[in-house]
Amino acid sequence: MSAEYDVEFVEREDREARFLVRGVTPGFANGIRRAMVADVPTMAIDTVRFVENSSVMFDEQLALRLGLVPLTTPPVGEFGEDETVTLSIDVEGPATAYSGDLVSSDDLVEPADENVPIIELKDGQRLEAEADAVIDRGKDHAKHQGGVAVGYRHLQRVEVEGDLPEFEDEESRIIRGVIEDDGELVSTSEFDHDLSNRYPGKEVRIEDVPNAFVFHVETDGSFPIEELVTRAADTIAERATELEDAVQL
Amino acid sequence: MMVPVRCFTCGNVVAEHWEEFDERANEGDEDPEKVLDELGVDRYCCRRMLVSHKDLVDVVSPYQ
Repeated sequence: MSAEYDVEFVEREDREARFLVRGVTPGFANGIRRAMVADVPTMAIDTVRFVENSSVMFDEQLALRLGLVPLTTPPVGEFGEDETVTLSIDVEGPATAYSGDLVSSDDLVEPADENVPIIELKDGQRLEAEADAVIDRGKDHAKHQGGVAVGYRHLQRVEVEGDLPEFEDEESRIIRGVIEDDGELVSTSEFDHDLSNRYPGKEVRIEDVPNAFVFHVETDGSFPIEELVTRAADTIAERATELEDAVQL
Repeated sequence: MMVPVRCFTCGNVVAEHWEEFDERANEGDEDPEKVLDELGVDRYCCRRMLVSHKDLVDVVSPYQ
């Protein structure tokens, strides 16, 4: 990796962030992206034992819905790949069963969103079930994806080349992402993604900054952004060492 | 039947916004576009999950 490796946050929220990474190759940037989507293990419900289900949906439909509810994922090393956490749910109609009604046997594994409706129960209907949550990767099932809509774009540099000819109509120049202007990072949403708003009457040239990528990352609530990105980088390191050990003579 | 828990395309959890969206845009007379913006459902893949959904629990429940 080149010497001027650097990470800088552009926007940062609880579950959504935009950050700039300098000094990585396009291949590595894509590796990080793919690791965030498919290789970071998260908790999700995998097996459900129904004690009573008199709702309008079948057991397997409800099991899928329960599986898709995001659960908070404990710190690395806390759980092995084959360990399970049991969650139970017991709701009697008329009421709606929510993900918040899941009672966990472990404080580290709780539903990340409390307001996901599981099933609407009518008078006399009842849902009682026990569910086992396991830790697994996004490549095995989408419910284990920690990163949602993870993507990156090149950082773009805008250079003013001069004035537009006096009698020429101004055309809009739409770009999306983050631009670099005199070393300052500006999100294109600040000028409605249209360069003619920021540089009226100017002729501008846009070029990609080499080896600088702006990542946009969202999580489903399993863990914070920083955790997702560092764990993704760790899985790459893990696989690299595995490969190194495997090819050793 | 019930609203899908996650967006089919990107995997974002959308079901938690359904009840508010239904109340304000379907039952109420607010503009669905504005309601979705306020709920923070930004991408069009996630927005179609809520806009195109119809709850069928009330329709099928008499036939239990």
